[in-house]
Amino acid sequence: MPFAFKIDPLSLLFVFLILLGAIPNLFYSQGYLSHIRRKAHYLIHYFTFIFSMIGVVTAANGLSFLLFWELMSLASWQLILTEPEEEGVIPAARFYFFMTHFGFIFLLLFFLLISDGNLESGFAQMHNIAAHFAYPTLLFFLLILGFLSKAGVVPLHVWLPYAHPAAPSPVSALMSGVMLKVAIYGMFRFMLDVLYPWPLEWGILILVLGALSSLVGVLYALSEHDIKALLANHSIENIGIILIGFGMGMIFDALGLGILSSFAFIAALFHTFNHMSFKSLLFMGAGSVLHETHTKNIEKYGGLIKSMPITALSFLLASVSISALPPTNGFLSEWMIFQSLLSSNTISDMSLKLAIPFAVFALALTGGLAIACFVKAYGINFLGLHRSANARHAKEVNSLMRLGMLTMSGVVISLMLLAPAFIHLFDKVLVADGRVGAYDAIFPFGIWNMHSVAINGGVVSPLILLISLLGVTLLLAWAYRKLEPKRRLYRTWACGYRTGVRTQYSATGFAGPIRRFFSWLYKPKEHLRKESLAGHESKFDSSSYDVHVKPLFERSLYEGTARLANWISYWVYRLAHFEQTRYAAMIFNLMILVLFSYRIFAHQFSWATFALESVVMVISIKVLIIGDKR
Amino acid sequence: MILYFVTILLLLALAPILLSFMKAVKMWLLYKRPISLLQGYRDFSKLLSKETILSREASAMSQVAPFLVLSPLLIVLFYLPPAVKGAYYVSFVDAFTITGLLALSTFFLMLLGLDSASSFGGMGSSREAFISALVEPAMVLTIFSVSMMAGDLGIGQAGVNLALHFPKEHMASYLFAAISFFILLIAENGRIPVDNPETHLELTMVHEAMILDITGLYLAIIEMAASLKFAIFASLFATLFLPFGMEYALPIALLIFTIKLFIVALAVAIIEVNTAKLRLFKVPNLLGIAIVFAFLSLITFYVLGA
Repeated sequence: MPFAFKIDPLSLLFVFLILLGAIPNLFYSQGYLSHIRRKAHYLIHYFTFIFSMIGVVTAANGLSFLLFWELMSLASWQLILTEPEEEGVIPAARFYFFMTHFGFIFLLLFFLLISDGNLESGFAQMHNIAAHFAYPTLLFFLLILGFLSKAGVVPLHVWLPYAHPAAPSPVSALMSGVMLKVAIYGMFRFMLDVLYPWPLEWGILILVLGALSSLVGVLYALSEHDIKALLANHSIENIGIILIGFGMGMIFDALGLGILSSFAFIAALFHTFNHMSFKSLLFMGAGSVLHETHTKNIEKYGGLIKSMPITALSFLLASVSISALPPTNGFLSEWMIFQSLLSSNTISDMSLKLAIPFAVFALALTGGLAIACFVKAYGINFLGLHRSANARHAKEVNSLMRLGMLTMSGVVISLMLLAPAFIHLFDKVLVADGRVGAYDAIFPFGIWNMHSVAINGGVVSPLILLISLLGVTLLLAWAYRKLEPKRRLYRTWACGYRTGVRTQYSATGFAGPIRRFFSWLYKPKEHLRKESLAGHESKFDSSSYDVHVKPLFERSLYEGTARLANWISYWVYRLAHFEQTRYAAMIFNLMILVLFSYRIFAHQFSWATFALESVVMVISIKVLIIGDKR
Repeated sequence: MILYFVTILLLLALAPILLSFMKAVKMWLLYKRPISLLQGYRDFSKLLSKETILSREASAMSQVAPFLVLSPLLIVLFYLPPAVKGAYYVSFVDAFTITGLLALSTFFLMLLGLDSASSFGGMGSSREAFISALVEPAMVLTIFSVSMMAGDLGIGQAGVNLALHFPKEHMASYLFAAISFFILLIAENGRIPVDNPETHLELTMVHEAMILDITGLYLAIIEMAASLKFAIFASLFATLFLPFGMEYALPIALLIFTIKLFIVALAVAIIEVNTAKLRLFKVPNLLGIAIVFAFLSLITFYVLGA
């Protein structure tokens, strides 16, 4: 059979994830369709995209996996190109195409190596080949280059903030919410089933990559003004958080701590689901705002809670959840990941034990910065006064789009309320994969309290928290109603000046302190323009301040590589075309080098001839290539 | 169970008094006539009878957020470690939940600041976001370290364990964690040198800037939240880092607990009188000290076992 499909619990779990992400998206997409001009093109690729993702997670051999993986990449690439006339879409699509195929090459190599050239072999055969492979670390590196370039992990994350904003919003929600998770599925499938007994170092590498991605993602999200690019940067952050959980699972497994490892893997799976739900919801909310205001610039929004209450409410739910605030599902999965990091105090390797607090530090700082970022995103978008005419004319989106957002909110809430059921599901999947079950240790006394599996670990009771928060808030509101204070509407106090649109804090201003504190990383380009009155420095009519942050990795790694390639090709070109004597001399010297080194391979090496030949080489290089000093 | 509710009521009652006490100590040290300890209650009753002025620019958020600022703190009150030996405590809550609930309260406070379209509100929210983002890692690391010394991550159980078995053998890391936690107490409650609670100068205010546009009953709710937050932190400091005198009979033990709260307040007041408020961009240095002490605490615990 060239193509083979199999549905085992892990596949089924991810099919479930894809459907959870795709069904609310269908409604939303239907509502969004009127906004799209190339409808047929969009719909064909949209359904191909969903279908191919399901194909990837159900594939049972290398060939079908690669086929659907490539189909998924191509369909999403075409979906980015839905509105090619918009600015920045074509370069973004080109960049995405390049990056996704960069990863595909490594995946292809991985599959060719692991299946001994026979792409039709199943996962069990691959496991056998991997067990006898001489360089398993090579396989591991090919695997993570392949999957993590798709998942958007530092340093292969650069395409996300370009590709996600360029796509239509339902597609951004699918790409960020679901497609990145397919790459996480690849990690689970091929790490757990194929490359199984792994050394400790692999887990540490994944942990470090996760911690770096989470910090880098959230820091660049804070400096972003484009709402969708902001959310794309948060995807990098959340994939990092998932990988922290995954890496801890690998570390615990390598140390032989089965139940802790299962706990960490469950945490990673739970965060995968949570991120799917709230990130899809956030992208839908951002898409609705974009649909109404026709701009992605966060500085042009403001006050939308008054005209778009349902969008605002669902965006708030998702913001609270992604900021990992209790009692939401985002809090629960991040709590689990924290607990698995904290249970590192039981391991005996001292250097590892001292290193893991740094991951705790990274994750906690990420959490704090994510709160700051979502206060910015929510506060600037939905609160205050309308910052532009576009925002003033915004209305609530059509009912299908609202239905999409409400269904996705339902998914978020059900992940919160049914957390025990979901954890039970993840546990069963891992048990079916031959891991130790952890459900009974997480919920030893019923579903009310969630325990860490470590000795003397933490406890949290999501449902009690939710009920008490709701209860106390309602009680306070009821008491307020009873007291019936007199109310008056009046202007906001602003030192006697009128409050206006431009007296509000902007998103740039809001992130100002953090941007200044991290300016060593951001290296922001600031443009300040003032039209001063009669030559006074401090008196001016109008001024504009603009700050632009170019990500470090793009600045150094990508542009550096491009510059290096450019430089090499320039010199090669110059040598071959303008300095032909020197070029010929280089060829000549290369030939002598080959002739001379023949002795080594022929085992006729002697120090005397080596010295003589070295002298000949040095003279010839000096005279023919370097030449006289001009 | 009765003791549990008595402690909660005591904390609720003491919360405004603690803030007034700090203010009174500061005034006394500055040779001013100190305010009464009941000033907090007077302010509260005054605010109750005032009319509420809502900003015309604000949205429904302004009418909902104050409740969401207060309710997480009210819930945290139920989850604190026992102040008296043998009292009931909630066993199903750990320190992360508590930091999460505090962050939830701050989240809505920051949204409240942005809602009224005032530049002051935005300024306060922006600064608060900056400070609380940097507080978070220090807080988590301190919790990690204390939980290892106490032998449990559950906050109530940790308090009980520390009272039963004072970590003499881990004195160094215990002290480092205490220093770190005290800095966090100052930063989270917006006291000098991080924020000045008594100023309304736009250069310096953080917490006050966010609530500048709130009046009447809503302001009373927010003020109550601020005083409760201090009471929560003081009580956490008292039960986790001063875990003695809890085994006495009921009234004496409660009295000792109250005295501990006042000692924490006194320490904060003395620091407030003796230091100048830091510039906003110097605040990370102070929080950096807290982070470093938290790391030191962990490392001494792991490496030296001290």
